[in-house]
Amino acid sequence: MSNEPKADAVLETSGLLCPGPVVETSKAISGRVQIGQVLQVVSTDPGANLDIPAWCRNVGHELVFASEDPEGTFRFWIRRKQ
Amino acid sequence: MSTTSTGTVLSDVTRTDPSTLAGNLTGAEGAAKRLTKLAIIVREGAYDRILTPLAFGYLAAAAGADVDMLFVNWAVRAVMKDECNKLPMSAEHSDDGAYIQEQVAKAGLPPTIEGIVQAMKATGKVHIYVCSLAAQIFGATRENLLDQVDDIVGATWFLTERSLGADITQYF
Repeated sequence: MSNEPKADAVLETSGLLCPGPVVETSKAISGRVQIGQVLQVVSTDPGANLDIPAWCRNVGHELVFASEDPEGTFRFWIRRKQ
Repeated sequence: MSTTSTGTVLSDVTRTDPSTLAGNLTGAEGAAKRLTKLAIIVREGAYDRILTPLAFGYLAAAAGADVDMLFVNWAVRAVMKDECNKLPMSAEHSDDGAYIQEQVAKAGLPPTIEGIVQAMKATGKVHIYVCSLAAQIFGATRENLLDQVDDIVGATWFLTERSLGADITQYF
């Protein structure tokens, strides 16, 4: 776990499916972290694997790290850029 | 290394290691074209057929895009105060209504169509228009339309002033 960056806030979306994780991430990035801080998003949506990186790219936030555990839980560390 | 891949949920063809995706963001893809404007034209008004365009609109707004939605024909009922929360299922899926509503709630969407529309408008990125012809056919007025509806418009205006300038136009 040593590679995982430090997160300033954690958003738990496990159980939610599309579009839940993306819209909740969108709210949390502006509501829970400052510019430059990192939000960790936890998701069990199989689509999040591609959706969250695509969302980061479109909005312009930085996906600094991502992981998947053997149970299919994804974790994304997103640095708010704006 | 904390990153592992089970390879069991999706096939290897569709599964992409998320750590790779993180790396891509600093590469060429980071400069790729972005979705900034989405136009959606919705015709079908059945509950199960209105969910997808609403979800796409909501997603695009969450991704920072300006979303313009035109509701035509039966879809007008989905944005009428007295109709929006009692939309029928489409005929071929009429037995699945309770199941679909349950799954919608599980996805994290508000439980009612009105609630979804409110959440979409709360993004500040979504504009909702009703086709003037459909409004006349279904008796929609500014008074009985949801407050979240921006305007009753002609299709020509929507095509030339909204759809033409959009990155993508979707039809449902």
